[in-house]
Order: sequence, then structure tokens, then C-alpha cells
Amino acid sequence: MSNAPLTGLRVVANASGVAAAYAARLLGTLGAETILVEPLQGSALRDEPPFLDADEDVSALFAYLAAGARSFVCDVTSDAGRAALGGLLSEADIFIDDTLPAERTALGLDEEAIAARHPDLIHVSALPFGSHGPKAGWKAHEINLQHASGEGNLLPNGLSVEMFPDRPPVKIYGHFAELQGGIAAALGALSALWVRPELGGQYVDVASQDAALAVGAFAIQRLGDGSIEHRVERSFRYGGVIPCADGYVELLTLEQRQWHGLVKLLGDPEWALDPALDDSLERSRQGPLINTHIRAWAAVRKVEDIVREGQKLSVPLAKYYTPAEVVRDPHEAVRGLFQPVEIAGAGVLNMLVSPFHVSGEPLHLRAGPPALGEYRLPSANTAANVEA
Amino acid sequence: MAKPLHGIRIADFTVHNAGPFCTHLLSQLGAEVIKVESAMRPDAFRKPHPVYGRMGPATFDQVASTKLSIRINLKKPEGIELSKRLVGLSDVAAESFRPGVMARLGLGYDALRAVKPDLVMLAVSSSGQSGPDSHFAGYAPLFGAWGGLGELTGYEDGPPVEMRHVMDHTVGMNAAVAVMAALHRRRTTGEGGLVDVSAREVASSLLGEALLLAAAGTEPHRTGNDHSRMAPHGVYPAAGDDRWLSIAVASDAEWQALTGVMGVGELAGDVRFTSAEARHANRRELDQIVSGWTVTLEANDAAERLQAVGVPAHASWTTPEIAADPHLRAREAIVEVAEPDGKIRAAVGVPMRLSKGPEIGIARGTPKLGEHEDYVYGELLGMARAEREALEEAEVIY
Repeated sequence: MSNAPLTGLRVVANASGVAAAYAARLLGTLGAETILVEPLQGSALRDEPPFLDADEDVSALFAYLAAGARSFVCDVTSDAGRAALGGLLSEADIFIDDTLPAERTALGLDEEAIAARHPDLIHVSALPFGSHGPKAGWKAHEINLQHASGEGNLLPNGLSVEMFPDRPPVKIYGHFAELQGGIAAALGALSALWVRPELGGQYVDVASQDAALAVGAFAIQRLGDGSIEHRVERSFRYGGVIPCADGYVELLTLEQRQWHGLVKLLGDPEWALDPALDDSLERSRQGPLINTHIRAWAAVRKVEDIVREGQKLSVPLAKYYTPAEVVRDPHEAVRGLFQPVEIAGAGVLNMLVSPFHVSGEPLHLRAGPPALGEYRLPSANTAANVEA
Repeated sequence: MAKPLHGIRIADFTVHNAGPFCTHLLSQLGAEVIKVESAMRPDAFRKPHPVYGRMGPATFDQVASTKLSIRINLKKPEGIELSKRLVGLSDVAAESFRPGVMARLGLGYDALRAVKPDLVMLAVSSSGQSGPDSHFAGYAPLFGAWGGLGELTGYEDGPPVEMRHVMDHTVGMNAAVAVMAALHRRRTTGEGGLVDVSAREVASSLLGEALLLAAAGTEPHRTGNDHSRMAPHGVYPAAGDDRWLSIAVASDAEWQALTGVMGVGELAGDVRFTSAEARHANRRELDQIVSGWTVTLEANDAAERLQAVGVPAHASWTTPEIAADPHLRAREAIVEVAEPDGKIRAAVGVPMRLSKGPEIGIARGTPKLGEHEDYVYGELLGMARAEREALEEAEVIY
């Protein structure tokens, strides 16, 4: 029997968006059995870019989000489909759903209906703006969510906004805010599950907007302190993204000893030995000038050389790794961050498993993404299965 | 009704932001989080912060509110013993020092498991507890750089972008999920365990699909606000200085609705834009047309008009707009807290609503250093006043 922490739990996810699917992915990677409920034509996520093939049949996003899950095809707009889903839910611990609020009642997927039929079920709603509140019916894609939750307006910062001060703000790559919704939904599910022996099932209402705002909480904290952050000013006064001869490094020295290490790394130049710069506030004041010197020094050096020498001096430096460099990173090979999985139509590929270990070893993906409808209900409910 | 994690006790040795945000979330959900500090090593929020120009301690912060505070000097052997007594009464011990530091202090997982065999221990670090880079020091921008998220974020013709505190806090929220999973296993099997969260791996987990492309031999690059299929998709200028509106159109129906609101019905039949493929191929022209319309409009008004016809749109909100938003306040994603002097300020709540846990969220502000020692040392550990005074005298409780 697996020692994964959620072994024995069963999660059913009716997910057409990233947040709900990622919540299920997290719980599944932690050991839960996860069943993805898909309409006859398959989840909308199967059609989401980017793709692993030229014909755009194999979604990398779906592969990542659905890895390890089972696929159960079920037309929830039909009586038979709803009965089949009800059968699944009667044996589930957690149900994650991103059906639009306006459509739930007709499908029997609203909070009250689920609670009445499945009193011990943890019912998690994962939507862009949540299922309650004046904007519950609003639609959002990732870019809208980033701008509804704060970080959208605050990026880019540092070198990028210095180079392009008049451009519109730029979004974080990928599905950042929606993934936050998924992480919060997983946390909500496990918190509700923790108290289930006392309280029974309950309804967990998660909004990707709230979750993305939560991880950006410091902007609200500083507002209370009396300062409004803006992407143009929200930069460390020196360091940051440093262009080198063959790429970029990130440099951030917050502590005195790290500054001393940096000065040494730069070769003890005369400008840096100015006693006034021993004071961190003075360094902040002279940040732009310090950066001019650092950039001139770095421009003629290679990233690997700077990082290697900097690490010896305990200067916090990191190469801006490309995805390919992450995939072949020797550190991550030791950590088991990636696991080969079969992806129909794309072959066996290394996929990121989980950003944490439990009990000293990496977690494990059960499989790659499922074929549509490969899961069948046990014999008693076979009639309710719908052929894809 | 008690908060859902009522009864879980966490001995919290975490520092900086990522680890403390994890225990902050768990404290809002009801766990009793006992934050360990000392006058020698006070929390970052108890000190001035030159980077942000804060010349004194924070009066309220988002990663320690609702926690209990005690002082333990970890430089003293008696401080280590005291820490172990606390862990012995806890379900979880959490730390975020560089790998190896806790073990050198005598508070590594093996040492703590000896006093609490079913302990769930959380260790948050920049690169994880194992692997050749595990000794690397790091902050949020470095996690983002190592993990690949910084490289993929930015304008197509510009440099990578530095990730900030959202990166730390994403690590913390992941850690909270992992800790809860480990607690479930403990409840089922009686077995504790070490939860090892790597911040750079959390950054990588946010680009799993791009890493798959890389594994398949293609190399994704940053593309600014472009989407590989949607158009219009971007951040468009609105009326006013530095005002912006995000719009994302995914379907023909949304496109037609957009042209209706824009009052340019003729564009719906324009061959440059009749299909999603055509709109994407001609997206720069389309961006010009959409910008010409949005620049005349107040961003929030425009978003409401677009949402009314089913087009995903949202103003690019500044922090004051977020703090004042009725929707976020209705959901208690934004709450009001009182400073020690009674001044009211906005704070961010726990990102979920529970039907049987309406009282989750921030219960108190940032604790004073050592504010809860009567409870922790007196009630929980049963220490006599004289014993506590002796430890204070010896700068162990310090």
C-alpha cells in the first residue's frame, strides 16, 4: 500500500478550468484517487494550449493538470449522467466543481442539493470570483484575474519597467492566479476534511481572485502602512535582473555580509570601498549608481562564472533558468522533481511531480493524463456509463 | 462553531516570509501557532526595513497576526531544551532556516522526533533539504529565477522579470497543503513525517506545461501579454494616467459581443477578424482598434459594460481599489483590523469561505514579543514563575 499521505481518499473533480483541475492534481499527487468527470467531448482543458504536437491534439496543460487522474465520461445535462455522477459522489470524500453558479441548480450541483444528497461530502467550488458576492457571475481568464488581484498592475518591475516605462503592465507567465485558486481549494478541502468527523461535510467556496490576492498580501499591508506600491518604484534599489554577456542573473543582497561578499566578487573596486556605502540606507540612496557599476562589470562576464564565484562568497545570485535548464537541472535530478510518464500522442516525457517531499522522498505520479472515458463505474452502475 | 483546525498546535520557528505565511494561513484556519523569536533575533517585521523605507517596526503584518509569541534564545543549550518541551506538546514543528541549521542547533527532525514520535515537521527552504544546491541561500526573486518563472515572464523583446513576495507566499500556501496532508496521514496511520518544501520547485510547479514542452524538445519563450490563441487578449489603455483594462476574448460569441459594445458591428464581418485564427493572426491591428476604444473609457465602467454582455474583462486594479472593493469585502478576502492605537486598516483574509466555519480569518494583530508566555510557559508547559525568571535571568527566555 502506498505511503502517500492521502492514500485512501477519493476526489471527484468536475473541472473545465485550471483552478479546479489543479486542486485535484495536488490532492492526487499526495495520494488521493482522483476521478475527472468529463463531458462527452472531453474536458475543455484538453483543447487548451500549449500543445505537444503540431496538430494541436495533445494539450501540455491538460497533461500536466490531469496526470494521475482517471477519466469518467458523464453527461451531467442528462438524468442518466446525473445519476452516474451521484453514484460517484456517494463514494467520494471531496467533490471539486467549477460549474458556473448560474448553471448549478438546473444540474443539481448547487450547494444545497449536494449537501442534501451527500451530507458527508466536502464540496469545493473553485471559480474565478467565487460563488458568493456581487461579482460571482463575472467571467475571467487568467489575465483578468491577475489584474483583479493586484499583481497584474505591479509588474513588470526592475530592469523591465526601467527599459519600457510606457508599456502596459505585463502578466506573469501561464496560469499563475488560477493555480493559486487551485492551491487554496486544496487547502480548503483538507481543512474541511480535517473537521469532518465533528461537523460532517461542508461547502468550501474558493475564488482564484481571493487566492491571488492572498499571496499578494504585502501590497495591502503597505497600504495600511501608508504607501501605495507601484511597479515603477517597486524595485530593490540595486541588484535585481542583471544582464550578463550570455544571459541574466538575479542578484539580491539584503544583509550586510552579503554586500561585503558582493564587493569582493566585484574585485574590491574603489567606488565600492567608499565607507559611506557600509550603511544600508546610503546604499539604497545610491542604488542606481551602484547598479551602473554592477551592470558594467557583469556585461562582459558569463552567467555561469558570476554564479559560481558569487556562491563561493555567499552572495545570493541565481541564473534565470530556461525551462529546458530546469528540466535537465542536476539538482532536480537528485531531488526527483521529474518523473517519466506516458502521454498518448507525445510519448514518454519527464513531468514535474510535486514541489514538496513528504517523508524524505519525492511523491509519485500514478500515470500520465488519462484517455477520455477510460474509467468505468463498478458493475452495478454500468448502465449509467456513457460511451464517449 | 470552532475553526476547522482547532486543536492543532504548531511550534513555529519559521523566519522571513514563505514559512511564516504557511503558519499564518493555518492559524487563520484555527491552528494554535506559537511563534518562537528572541530579542536577539526578532522577526523581520519588528525591525526597520530599509528596502521599503519603514523606519520602525510594523504595527500590523500579514504573516504573524493571530499567532502567539514567545521568546526562546536558540543560542543557549537551555533554549534548545525549552524548544523541545514545546515541540513535545505540538503536532507540527515548522522551520525555514537554511538546510542543516536546525540539526546544528540540535532541533533537526531526528532530534525532535525523539521527543514527539508522530511529529509532522515542515522544513521550507530555497532549494529543498537534498540535492547539490540545497545549501543555497535564496529570496523570492531567486526562487523565481531558478524555477523558470522569471525567464518566461516579461515582454517578448525585454529581459526576464523579477518575482516578488507572491513567490514567497505561494511557497507558504503549498506548504500549508502539504502539512495538512501529512496531518491526515498521521490521523489515519499514526505516522508523522518530514515535509520538505522547495521554493524553487514551487516556482517551477507554476509552469508545468512549459516544462513538458521543454522535455519534448521545444523551448518556450516569454510572450508578454499575448495568448497563443485568444485575441484580443491583453492590457489596454483606459482613460486617465496609468489606467489599464484587461480583456480576453476566447470565442466568436465574445468577439461579437465586444464589437457590439464598441459600436463597431461592421468589424464582426471584417474578414481580418471573423475567426479566432484570423483575429490571432491580425492581433496587432486588433489591439490598435481595441486600444482606440478603451482609451476613451473609465476602466471600471468599461469592464462592467463588457461583463454585462459576457466578455471577460477587468480593470487593472491598484491596491486602494482592491482594499475598497465590495465584492472582496463581502467575501472577507479583504477584512478590517484594528491597530494597537485603534486605527482601522485593511488586511487580507484567508482565501476561502467555509459553510461550517464562518469565523475563520484573522483573530488578532501582530503579537508583542513574548506576549503569550504566561499561557505557553505557565499553562501549557506548567513552568513555575521562579523557573521562568531564572531562564529570563540566564537570557534563555530572552
